[in-house]
Amino acid sequence: MHKPALAILLMLAATVAAAQTPSQTKSAPKASPAPAAKADAFTLPERASGKKDAPIVMEVWTDFECPHCKELYLHTLRRLMDDYCATGKVYLIHRDFPLQGHVHAREAARWADAAATIGKYEEVTEALFSNQEVWSVSGNIEPVVAAVLRPADLQKVKQVMKEHSAEIDAAIEKDVFLGAQTQVNQTPTTKLTEKGVILSVSPGNYPYATLKSYLDSQLSK
Amino acid sequence: MGTFNIDRLLTWARIALGIVFTYAAFLKVSMSWLTFAGSIDAYKILPDWAITPLAQLLPWLELALGLLLVSGFAVRWTGLAVTLLLAGFFSAMMQAHFRGLDIDCGCFGPGEKIGANTFIRDGALVGLAVCVTLGAFLRRNTLLHRVQ
Repeated sequence: MHKPALAILLMLAATVAAAQTPSQTKSAPKASPAPAAKADAFTLPERASGKKDAPIVMEVWTDFECPHCKELYLHTLRRLMDDYCATGKVYLIHRDFPLQGHVHAREAARWADAAATIGKYEEVTEALFSNQEVWSVSGNIEPVVAAVLRPADLQKVKQVMKEHSAEIDAAIEKDVFLGAQTQVNQTPTTKLTEKGVILSVSPGNYPYATLKSYLDSQLSK
Repeated sequence: MGTFNIDRLLTWARIALGIVFTYAAFLKVSMSWLTFAGSIDAYKILPDWAITPLAQLLPWLELALGLLLVSGFAVRWTGLAVTLLLAGFFSAMMQAHFRGLDIDCGCFGPGEKIGANTFIRDGALVGLAVCVTLGAFLRRNTLLHRVQ
């Protein structure tokens, strides 16, 4: 091997070896003041699953009209909630990120967030994603929500939407703001944190087996 | 003189290709493999069980091939492997495009949608890899003839 080529090879190898560390130790960006203090009531703990002191915190930014978000929620997150959140290994936080082109996504997020105030976030979210093709065309979200709530609960949700619309909008804006801070620019995007250290910020969907493999490798460290 | 220039050109092409491969690998190994797994899954061509091992191994394979190209060691076989790999990437992008998938290329990490730019760049890289590989095989045959 020529000496210059060997030198280039060694330099590249050293650079790559040095690059292994930064992403693992990158600390979370400092949070700026939240846009609205009242928004917390609609964010945590109602739109989260698992225990707050779980070793891994997973934040997922989704848009209710996004097909990849539907796939992630129905095929990956549902199983994650059963296997990892219920067992205290992962604390999953749902965050809204309604995209500009999706005209009904924000309204769907309002319904889900309002349902969170009566502890029915997951039921409504699952219904919204399962029937995405229907309401995203018609814009008629209420029948989809009504199908999974008792009439009394539906009335409560509608009342919350009417009386606290400003707070719900503020909660959505807060999620969008937090997403922007995390450099979220597409949905779904997942941020995994362990003891305040960011493990990954990953746009896109992935199969449950892949996420399971990743979480197991992190939890076994 | 002409042969000398072509040899020089191929050497620089090989090093450039090696640096591109090493850089792409560097970006992937320096981020969580989960991120790359998301990019692979978006193409919807592999079964779920294949995504995790590929997301963990492919960046290291790219790194090894990139470093081998830069070093000039086993150029023929490295070139062939790089050509096949790039052709595979290009085919995957084509099928995604024709299936109407609006996804990230994943070539240099997330955030770059498949489009004209990615096709031109990857097409050029495939061309470069073919030239480097053919050049390496032809050069070896020429040297063998001279020895005989």
